[in-house]
Amino acid sequence: MLELRDITKVYGLGTANENYLFNRFNLTIQEGDFISVVGSNGSGKTSLLNVICGSIDMEGGQVILAGKDITKQADFRRYEKIGRVYQDPSMGTCPQMTILENMSLADNKNKPYNLRSGTDKKRIEVYRDRLRELNLGLEDKLDVKVGSLSGGQRQAIALLMSVLTPVEFLILDEHTASLDPATAELIMQLTEKIVIEHRLTTVMVTHNLRYALEYGNRLLMLHQGASVIDIAGEEKENAVSEDIMRLFNRISLE
Amino acid sequence: MKKTGTIILCVLVLCGMLVGCGSGGGSGESYTIGINQFGDHASLDNCREGFLEGLRMEGIVEGENLTIEYQNAQFDSGTANLIAQSQVSNNVDLICAIATPSAQASYNAADGKDIPVVFTAVTDPVAAGLTGGNVTGTSDKLPVEAQLKLIRALMPEATKVGILYTLSEVNSESAIADYEALTPQYGFEIVTQGVSASGDIPLAMDSLISKVDVMTNLTDNTVVGSLSVLLDKANAKGVPIFGSEIEQVKLGCVAAEGIEYYQLGIQTGQMAAKVLKGQMTAEEIDYEIIKESSLYINEEVMADFGLELTPEYAERVNSVKNE
Amino acid sequence: MDIIIGVLEQGLIYAIMAFGVYITYTILDFPDLTVDGSLPLGAAVSAVLITKGVNPYLSLLAALGCGAVAGFLTGFIHVKFKVRNLLASIIMMTALYSVNLHIAGKANLALFDFNTIFNSGIGALLPASLSRYHTLIIALVMVVIVKIALDLYLRTKSGYLLRAVGDNPVLVTSLAKNNGSVKILGLTIANALVALSGAILAQQQRFFEATMGIGAVVIGLATVIIGTNMFKNVRFIKSTTAVIIGSILYKGCVAGAIALGMNAIDLKLIMAILFLVILIVSRERKKKVKQNA
Repeated sequence: MLELRDITKVYGLGTANENYLFNRFNLTIQEGDFISVVGSNGSGKTSLLNVICGSIDMEGGQVILAGKDITKQADFRRYEKIGRVYQDPSMGTCPQMTILENMSLADNKNKPYNLRSGTDKKRIEVYRDRLRELNLGLEDKLDVKVGSLSGGQRQAIALLMSVLTPVEFLILDEHTASLDPATAELIMQLTEKIVIEHRLTTVMVTHNLRYALEYGNRLLMLHQGASVIDIAGEEKENAVSEDIMRLFNRISLE
Repeated sequence: MKKTGTIILCVLVLCGMLVGCGSGGGSGESYTIGINQFGDHASLDNCREGFLEGLRMEGIVEGENLTIEYQNAQFDSGTANLIAQSQVSNNVDLICAIATPSAQASYNAADGKDIPVVFTAVTDPVAAGLTGGNVTGTSDKLPVEAQLKLIRALMPEATKVGILYTLSEVNSESAIADYEALTPQYGFEIVTQGVSASGDIPLAMDSLISKVDVMTNLTDNTVVGSLSVLLDKANAKGVPIFGSEIEQVKLGCVAAEGIEYYQLGIQTGQMAAKVLKGQMTAEEIDYEIIKESSLYINEEVMADFGLELTPEYAERVNSVKNE
Repeated sequence: MDIIIGVLEQGLIYAIMAFGVYITYTILDFPDLTVDGSLPLGAAVSAVLITKGVNPYLSLLAALGCGAVAGFLTGFIHVKFKVRNLLASIIMMTALYSVNLHIAGKANLALFDFNTIFNSGIGALLPASLSRYHTLIIALVMVVIVKIALDLYLRTKSGYLLRAVGDNPVLVTSLAKNNGSVKILGLTIANALVALSGAILAQQQRFFEATMGIGAVVIGLATVIIGTNMFKNVRFIKSTTAVIIGSILYKGCVAGAIALGMNAIDLKLIMAILFLVILIVSRERKKKVKQNA
């Protein structure tokens, strides 16, 4: 269980443009939740993820993981339990390194990066199998530099890499936003498969309301740093999408 | 087309390398000398011109029976190295190396190649390792004792002598050691202030000038380059600065018992002529220091400070005007 | 022919320094001016130890260690005190100037009367008939050892992480690794190599000179950029090999300009033009590759 307690995040503190993004914001994420987060621009969606991952400083509040206060824990330590995929496909991979090197790098997470051979030859078949499941033909391009692949291919690899080692949380930061609709669809299906397979607690920020309704067991709509909708389980299943759409359009226009 | 650029570059580089191997050295009556000069500097240029003059006095004249390969390393020891190797490769009859790093580079490159190295403007050839083997030359060691006598004669009351120097110049270090060894005999005390770059000089000078009665200058390249700063600050405090060679006196130092680099060059050129003519090998000739110091005064500055020469100095003085 | 041997000797020795610049500039994307201080640092440490009677080969290890410390401190200043990368390296470079003078005891230290790696140990075992190539052979052996070690290292897990931190620091954080520590590691290795190069250089030219590091980083950058850009699209040439070739080409150009009787004043201008030509040529190629794709 991950709890955000009284999170306060202010931009431009002490200046004329002082802006409270979060003012005593609270959220509890249960183990196994798949939360889809939607909201207008500047509503705090990405900042929410950054608070969870420790990527930004905050002015107040606590982050509690399994009863333990991790507010002061450095970001890279928190990633021991977190896999994250970004909107920009180049953020999740190393463009100058080959697919094989990228997979090997990710496969060694939470193990020492020592002077052993960077690629474990015994694992190559495993990587190939994982890549084959993508149906993108990447399993035959292990020695190709990731930088020369398309955005969708890179994002697929980034997603695989983020869960190649056991993690508890998966953080998805609009990870389909910069892809074409067909590729986005593919990546979403892959995401669901991975989440179910690894039983991951997932927070997914998306611009696409349809994905938010279709995927996940809980829907969170943020507006000006507060949740305006927070529905889960059956309530989410039964929610009338037109109602949510109308609210979403209204806050988006504000 | 893809690789054209690469190929052109490679060809250019190779051409450059091959041209260097083309010209051979002369023998018998005509000579080829490689001059490896460490940097552009008035004193070093004077050395080179003196060197050519010294050879001319011995009948070895550039354009007649002498070809000069002159290279300047722009104060970069890596370039000095390549210049030395290039001259050795061209099989010159003798290398004239001006200033310590060039002398060391030439000595190293010519080692075992039967090309004599004659150096000049090296302050301490022993410390620089330039004493064994097919090498000789002249030292520009300052006539420290003569300079101290001069200061004592002109300023009987002075006790504290200031010296500003650059930490990275080995010549300055050895000159300061000489000063420190000799000052007690003349009733002086040396106050030194080191700097690491010319940018430090104004502040270092402010600090030093308030502690001393008189200053003496070395042949420190960095400090000499900022001599006008030193003179401005010293004049404002009424402290005279003694120079170490003619160029400094021209710029406004009060007087100097110094070396004249042109003279030093002539002496070096004459040594080189002996080696070229086969009268002696470089190994047989010990390195030489300048035979006698020259006295220079700047009358204008002398008058400003109200200083007067004693009779024994007056007869051997060379008067120099402000430039 | 001596000049070609001279070019190869210097090119090979400077290539070890260029490996260090390759790590910081190309892999880490860190403009590291520490090089100007760590090159003479290695030279000073090695020269002093040799004059004290230490085995010249051991003095190389000492130089390697001192360079590592210098690189570590640059990284530490940058990471822990959050000083900008360029400034952190300038601070270290400035400090090293004094440190080097203290280590050497004076600004110029001659090694003419002492054994070096080129005439003792393995150097002494080479047949006398090859005497004019002794320096070249030893320099080549040194470069090959360092090149192979570096190539192997870059294929280890630690090497992968080092490459990743320059390529995409966000990913390194996602892998639960501290970016800062990896950068410090990279700077440590890079400056160790630079100091090693300085130590070998001092033994080859047989003197240490306090000012010998001035402009070293520029030579290193030119070498790396010339080498890596020239062979960008030649797959079978590794970057480390390209750096070695770049270094020899650089020194070849300097020697070529000297041989052609060009004034040393113009040398830097010639290098600048060469630099520019290579950057333009490699940019043209990149465009073509894109059009083909």
